[in-house]
Amino acid sequence: MYLSILKKDLKRKRTMNIVLLLFIILAVTFVSSGFNNVITVINGTDYYLDKAEIGDYLIITMGDNAGGNIASVLDGAGCAESYKIESCIFGSQDSVTKIDGTKVETKNTAIFQSVEDAKMNYFDTDNQPVTEVGEGEVVICGKFIQNNGFKAGDYIRVKLGDVQADLKIAGRAKDAVLGSDMMGNTRFLLNKKDYEKFLADETINAHYRGEIAYIETNDTKELSSIISDIPGIAFSGARSLIEITYVMEMIVAFVVLILSLCLIIVSFVVLRFSIGFTIAEEYREIGVMKAIGLKNRKIRGLYITKYLLMAIAGGIMGFFAGIPFGNMLIKSVSENMVLGNNGGFLVNIISTIGTIAVILLFAYGCTGRVKKLTPIDAIRSGQTGERFKKKSFFRIGRVKARPSFFMAVNDILSAPKRFMTVIVSFFICTLLVLMIVNTTATMNSSKLISTLGTKEGSDLYITDVESSMRMMNTGDREAVEKELKRIADELAGEGMPCDVGVDIQYKYKLTSKGKNFSVTCAQSVNIGADEYEYYEGDAPENENELAITPRISEMLNVKIGDTVTVDFGTEKLDCIITGYFQSMNSLGEIVRFSDDAPTEMAFVSGILQNQINFTDNPSDEEILNRKERIIELYGNEDVFTAAEYCVDCVSVVPTMMAVQLLLLGITLIVVVLVTVLVERSFISDERSQIAILKAIGFKTGDIVKWHTARFGIAALIAAVLAAALSIPMTELCISPIFGMMGASSVDFNIDPLRIFLFYPAVIFGVTSLTAWLTSLYTKTIKTSEATNIE
Amino acid sequence: MSTVLKAKDLCKTYIVNKRQNNVLKNVSFSIEEGEMTAIMGPSGSGKSTLLYAVSGMDGITAGEVSFCGRNIARLGEKELADLRLDEMGFIFQQMYMLKNLTVLDNIVLPACQSKKNKETRRETLKRGEELMRRLGIIDIADNDITEVSGGQLQRACICRSMINNPKIIFADEPTGALNRTSSDEVMNELARLNADGTTVMLVTHDSKVAAKCTRVLYIVDGNIEGEYNLGRCEAPSQMRERERSLNNWLLELGW
Repeated sequence: MYLSILKKDLKRKRTMNIVLLLFIILAVTFVSSGFNNVITVINGTDYYLDKAEIGDYLIITMGDNAGGNIASVLDGAGCAESYKIESCIFGSQDSVTKIDGTKVETKNTAIFQSVEDAKMNYFDTDNQPVTEVGEGEVVICGKFIQNNGFKAGDYIRVKLGDVQADLKIAGRAKDAVLGSDMMGNTRFLLNKKDYEKFLADETINAHYRGEIAYIETNDTKELSSIISDIPGIAFSGARSLIEITYVMEMIVAFVVLILSLCLIIVSFVVLRFSIGFTIAEEYREIGVMKAIGLKNRKIRGLYITKYLLMAIAGGIMGFFAGIPFGNMLIKSVSENMVLGNNGGFLVNIISTIGTIAVILLFAYGCTGRVKKLTPIDAIRSGQTGERFKKKSFFRIGRVKARPSFFMAVNDILSAPKRFMTVIVSFFICTLLVLMIVNTTATMNSSKLISTLGTKEGSDLYITDVESSMRMMNTGDREAVEKELKRIADELAGEGMPCDVGVDIQYKYKLTSKGKNFSVTCAQSVNIGADEYEYYEGDAPENENELAITPRISEMLNVKIGDTVTVDFGTEKLDCIITGYFQSMNSLGEIVRFSDDAPTEMAFVSGILQNQINFTDNPSDEEILNRKERIIELYGNEDVFTAAEYCVDCVSVVPTMMAVQLLLLGITLIVVVLVTVLVERSFISDERSQIAILKAIGFKTGDIVKWHTARFGIAALIAAVLAAALSIPMTELCISPIFGMMGASSVDFNIDPLRIFLFYPAVIFGVTSLTAWLTSLYTKTIKTSEATNIE
Repeated sequence: MSTVLKAKDLCKTYIVNKRQNNVLKNVSFSIEEGEMTAIMGPSGSGKSTLLYAVSGMDGITAGEVSFCGRNIARLGEKELADLRLDEMGFIFQQMYMLKNLTVLDNIVLPACQSKKNKETRRETLKRGEELMRRLGIIDIADNDITEVSGGQLQRACICRSMINNPKIIFADEPTGALNRTSSDEVMNELARLNADGTTVMLVTHDSKVAAKCTRVLYIVDGNIEGEYNLGRCEAPSQMRERERSLNNWLLELGW
């Protein structure tokens, strides 16, 4: 009899059972893939950097006669337990072209290396180590192949000094040190013979060579103090700093993590609702079963068996669906990284079993009501008459709204708990979408410009690595000024009068409280230190003044008013800290000198973009025209407005856009499924009321309006709440991530139209449309059912 | 007196498990304005089916149903809904109402929905309250429907059926779920409405209820087997005699 009741139940309430099964499948899919992703993301960079064997500390040197400098210092350093050094060649963006000489996009400086001499591990797209490259071939790290539309088998031309080689692209590799979006240097892995052909050239060997050292140490502070004596350091930092360079990728990863957590919450909220709802609907059956003598335990067992069967069936399907779904979510992150966890499928299996257990727990909790239901409930249609509280203060006489709308509002006010599932699920999903929209909009705007080592308000920014390298190699600040004047004169000659400035970065030894640090220091040419933004204190004005970032404050344990000693090479100066500024350059480990500080070009580690400030106050439209003319004039595509420059620097924007769309897609799927499930549940519950309404003259259209309006209102409440909370929540959750990159106080770019109108309208529209389509089912309910209600 | 409802050769057939079940077989009758007609018959004879077929709540298989001169069999779903809203009132055995509305809101809901109703909401509410006062349930106007007795709720259902001043009220066993006292109260109200000019057609098993009507149609196996004219009850003292004569007639028909 037991099986017979079960079989009949599954058959008779087919639609509800199918919808419930669908939600169990979804819950298991979300939970298993979600937990797997959570573990993967938490392991994230550590797992990747361990696999790549990058050590605890990293130094990159470049410039004249860079070879051998690192080893000579490290050999005498007790804190360096062991180290590995690989040789490399630095090339400008123009050193790589297509085979026909056409330009290609190489982000920042290109680095050439022999794969045989590589001291860290590189991985191909299948996450297998890259150990060899054929002669005449090249394996390229980062997004170079993708960004330039190349494919394996295509050729590129490499020209360094007087040496030129055409190399066949053998594939793509993942580079743990330089492959992140923040580092963004493209590394070209060559065969040893090809690499040596380049090195044989004297000019290359003397001027373009560099070294990369991977050091094992247990005292990174001591090591960073010691290496401050190494000349030509382009980059130095602990493993923790390299981890931070993946912060952009980790933003995406954490979005996936938060999404997974949201989906898990939504799944459980909806499951709790549907199980609770379906059992509450069974009062009649339960009453009848009790009337014929079945005990509570037996009745409860019947429902638990039903949910166990459904949970197992849904669990198996959800487990298999969770694997590709999880991979799809993590794909946008794992493109640049080797992500994984040691648990593998075991995490999915445990999550699936866990979800089944939770479903049974819900079922057990909900069936607790069986004890309270009596045979009388079967007779009294579940009503006991024991309610002494007024349900709603809303009265039809007090409003002018049509009855359909009145009933919708009244239902929500009378039984808000019933609509909580809809409101909570939609709120969570919408809030997440809006937070990502705010973050992406901020990255996609000029809001971050002042944190990128540039003056706020410049009209245009020009990235020209070759010009930067030329200026770096002059060894003379006057030559830099001349180069900038030449550009300014050239542009003025073209009818674009302007000032051209540039931010130069040096590596100097700073001493604070008896400890030395090799720190990146910025000073501008043609732009005053006071033109930059300081969020506390003032700009450095005298040669013995400097401003610092919060990260430097923490690293050197200093604050405004303290003094640090700067070794400028020719002299040592005790400099007073005058203010704080924020910068994402060098991940916030940077100080800014005054215009009078006695800097020397011998200590240059990099020259940033040329900043153009037109002196004739052109309109925005004219600036865009001039941008096109400059692109044409120099044949350089890398001329940007402030917003474009930020997007170029924060290169995770396209990924964020893709994630935003993915998130919106998943949200809409959740919205559709929740709406269908809940609306079908409501129709099933309100069958008698619908039949009565039809009998007294309500048309199907009126019923559909009533049901659609309820979901529309619930969606609107969720969307309005999410929109209102999206700004503080974005600041609360996303600011710390920008803070990790050095931007401690970000002014988020909020697009009110998108936040308060577009996205709420999309959620509202999709919910209403789904509710409308689902509620059309009420057409099948006949007026005659008013007398034939079970 | 004009004819409010007229059925001619009315047939209703259900197909159950591929078997044809002829519930109504060529039923013909008419109801005049101001009449109070009871449909009686054994269980499964087709009483409720007849009520729903002539009220447009259910479709018919063959024949004609004319309501105030209009063949409702030819009306579309929307026109039928308008007809039920504005010109018919319904009372069911179970006192179904919308559970999230108060008793008064449930009563005035059809009036608020009707496009023919040009009153303000305040006027409609006032009318709803008057109806409730007339039926002696004004005290429960703001109550929740779960807080009132079955008898009170059924009287509220009568108020709801009356709110749009219908030409006819259809009642399907309106006292079926009530005790004798409540049943008497409800029937007295229906009789009073009828005395005020509203046509009533009701289905009942109870000869005591039917005795309050002016005419009784007896249906067996989908056919009207007999018709008994009781005439209007002029005084309560006549009720015992009306019941006795009706019971005798029913016995003759095999009741």
